[in-house]
Amino acid sequence: MTPVHFSFSSAFILGLMGLTFHRTHLLSALLCLEGMMLSLFIALALWTLQFEMTGFSAAPMLLLAFSACEASAGLALLVATARTHGTDRLQNLNLLQC
Amino acid sequence: MTYLVSLLLIALIVGLVAVASNPAPYFAALGLVVAAGVGCGVLISHGGSFLSLVLFLIYLGGMLVVFAYSAALAAEPFPESWGDRSVFGYVVIYFVGVGLMMKFFCGGWYEGSWMIIDTFKEFSMLRGDISGVAMMYSLGGSMLVICAWVLLLTLFVVLELTRGLSRGSLRAV
Repeated sequence: MTPVHFSFSSAFILGLMGLTFHRTHLLSALLCLEGMMLSLFIALALWTLQFEMTGFSAAPMLLLAFSACEASAGLALLVATARTHGTDRLQNLNLLQC
Repeated sequence: MTYLVSLLLIALIVGLVAVASNPAPYFAALGLVVAAGVGCGVLISHGGSFLSLVLFLIYLGGMLVVFAYSAALAAEPFPESWGDRSVFGYVVIYFVGVGLMMKFFCGGWYEGSWMIIDTFKEFSMLRGDISGVAMMYSLGGSMLVICAWVLLLTLFVVLELTRGLSRGSLRAV
């Protein structure tokens, strides 16, 4: 695996692990999701540049547009959580406790 | 030149370790700013100057600014930084994990893989990535229209989610 390929792959896996093992704040999970989107943007842009497929460089731009949609939906849910529970700490989201 | 790019790649991994170890959201946003900045550097070194500019403007200047002031919703009296005991454990585990994966997967230096998209190959005045993005307006016009429609739809989704007083899609809000 080339060093460039390894670095954005491990960046994606690190963001995924940070999303999986998030501890206290919902916003930390959303920021890890943004980190995954960053690594995907870098991956698609490097695919364009290293294979010299100039027509493919629209793909990272469209990925950025859709990830903006997803980030805004996540932030709307964060605001809704802060309105009902007063904070975004995950221990307050306990309706399904066992 | 390859040493500079390898330094930027290491800084990308360090920045995402700083985000994934889940400190207080202020510090995680700082880690994302650093990671996006060095990601732009990696893209520039491969010749994609326009895509790097787009990443800086839209991602850092648009989305991360919104996340930074949404961090006010996650305010704490004593925010946990990377030196605090619980966060530092995660940092160590992630660095050890990356080191182990580097031992297994990263074979060597791969001399021929640090390429730059060539400007003067087809006697063109523009770099490859900016002329490729211009294709989004000509042949990819339908995708552009779909993307704009999805963005408008997301605006209404956000308005309905945060409407409040049980008038929106969430009954509790």
